[in-house]
Amino acid sequence: MAFEPKKNISRRTVLKGAAGVAAASAVGSFPMPAIAQETTWTLANSLRSVANPYHATFAKGGEDFAKSIGATYEVLVTEGNSEKGIADIRALLQRTGGKLILNVDPNDSPDARVIVEEVQKAGGFVVTQWNKPDDLHPWDHDPNYIAHMSFDGVPTAEAIANELFKAFGGEGGIVALGGILSNVPAIERKLGLDNAIAKTNGKVTLLDFQPADWNEQKAFDITQAWLTRFGDQIKGVFAANDGMGMGALEALRQNGLAGQVPVVGIDGIDAAVAAIEAGEFAGTVAWDPLWTGGMGLAIPYAHVTGKIDITKEPHEHREFYGTGIIVTKDTVADYKSNPPKVDFNDLWGKATGQIQYRG
Amino acid sequence: MTTVATAKGLISAHWRRWAPVAVLVGLCIVIGTVSPNFFSRFNFIGLLNVAAIPLVISMGATFIILMGSIDLSVEGTLALCAVAASMLVANDFTGVAIGLLSVPVAILIGGALGLVSGAIHVSLKIPSFMTTLGIGFAGIGIATAILGGVMVRISDNTFRYSLSLGRPLGVPAAVWIAAAAVLAAWVIQERTRIGRWLYAIGTDEATARNAGIPVERTRILIFGIAGLFYGLAGAMSAAQIGRGHALIAQDKLFTAITAVVVGGTALSGGVGSVLNTVVGVFIVVVLNNGMVLMGIEPYMQKGVQGLLIIAAVALALDRSRLDVVK
Repeated sequence: MAFEPKKNISRRTVLKGAAGVAAASAVGSFPMPAIAQETTWTLANSLRSVANPYHATFAKGGEDFAKSIGATYEVLVTEGNSEKGIADIRALLQRTGGKLILNVDPNDSPDARVIVEEVQKAGGFVVTQWNKPDDLHPWDHDPNYIAHMSFDGVPTAEAIANELFKAFGGEGGIVALGGILSNVPAIERKLGLDNAIAKTNGKVTLLDFQPADWNEQKAFDITQAWLTRFGDQIKGVFAANDGMGMGALEALRQNGLAGQVPVVGIDGIDAAVAAIEAGEFAGTVAWDPLWTGGMGLAIPYAHVTGKIDITKEPHEHREFYGTGIIVTKDTVADYKSNPPKVDFNDLWGKATGQIQYRG
Repeated sequence: MTTVATAKGLISAHWRRWAPVAVLVGLCIVIGTVSPNFFSRFNFIGLLNVAAIPLVISMGATFIILMGSIDLSVEGTLALCAVAASMLVANDFTGVAIGLLSVPVAILIGGALGLVSGAIHVSLKIPSFMTTLGIGFAGIGIATAILGGVMVRISDNTFRYSLSLGRPLGVPAAVWIAAAAVLAAWVIQERTRIGRWLYAIGTDEATARNAGIPVERTRILIFGIAGLFYGLAGAMSAAQIGRGHALIAQDKLFTAITAVVVGGTALSGGVGSVLNTVVGVFIVVVLNNGMVLMGIEPYMQKGVQGLLIIAAVALALDRSRLDVVK
């Protein structure tokens, strides 16, 4: 807050820069044959920062789709600043005269409402990702608010827990590391684990559950204490994200147990994929940002070009979960050599059900 | 009346010196009764291993607190040093691989950051609280800027075994290093002029200045020395986790300061010792270990931890010299 004046200066600079980039890209796209209806729309993805691998790939997904139809494509970066994110979207709406298709991962849930209203006012089309208020629905803003996409922690955690059980033969005790107790993904992933354990009919037991707050050092310390408390009763370690899984793995390594007690995590970070290759991790779940980055533009584009009428689509096509990719030792080589492909004509092929509000 | 108060103060001061040890022993007895595994050799080694990095960090933090200042740069300094160390050994991010030479480099980077904190704090008369907070943010910022959200994976096994995974005489390498760090800190405190000046400055800076102690120079130097410890802890963290990233030191500041205070070193300065801090670190580590061993509900753990920390400080605090509590 104290640095507000400086922020304004840098925002102006950023806008200048953005204008420059836009001018340059306009010149660059000049030789492209002008297919009347298809190129009049500008496509844009808005995201937090290209510094993190997830969002960098998300931006690439949008670019891939824009290339496939020969449209102008822009990336807006919020850098974790909601105000900047919204201001950039307003500026782009103005510049394109509302002919904007926007795929946005709002910096914070409340931002989604402001963004949707701005886009609707200008006559553009928008898809939101991950964050939105529970009472904001695409069908209440027809037709401009096309859809909201997210990932469901419950089936994801259940699937990866089953991979863990498989890795140690399906019978025995496990310990589990959870995220910050009040986080929605932490609650969902714990629920998924509980479901998986319940379905083994007592063959797998949860020896202990501890929240390690997404922190790898805490996970390390807790796992060390577990080894004292449960010793070789521990047949596997479930971690609600890969970072905590790495902490648990290093505690196992300190005691010569890396590779003997399987660990699973969620997120698909590089270190976890490498640990799967080394036989130390039993699996992880990789999100598919190339798909979310591309489909968040492809679906509104299909509506704009008359291929579909979004207002006639069922609710499970307006608010839906994507599919995480389970990576295990059997699939890791394939995952690395054939990264997931995206078919822009298969609009809901990778959707797995309507978003649920679990309170 | 003054005489009576002093005599009473002396008796309770003598008793109070042992309060942290009594708390630690009491904790061990309670946990060991509920969970006999606690006293196993396996758990003892595990506890030492978990305590190693917090011990190294809190040696530096103790000096700063003895001086009556506070150092909030721990996480930033540690993260930057961990990232530097991980980028200098064989890794998947840079082509550099100078092996164990990366350790002194990390230590020196930590020391340099400490000197910068100290110099800004003294020359511009900015409270250490604010200066070190700023330097800490800068450290995390630089680490983030270098890595751009990526994590460095360490593939140098010599580095990892020498600082963490190796077990000379059955005791983890990190524990030997921490023991050496404690010894070094104790020597600085007991056998050097800096050590004695430290107490003088922490007790009463004006008197120390009148006695001819170079207060400014000592302050800057102490921040530098504390930075050396953080730098070492950074290299040890990278070796323990096998990765370097900007958030590697998350929550380590709180553990360090809690350990120092629970050990009986007063935040007001001048009272305490690095040996108190050793006890304090073990109180914190044993408490965390014990809560998992005894199976205390996760929802309750933070509450129990908070209450026990207040109780430990209440027992250890020397109130005879406290006129005003802020």
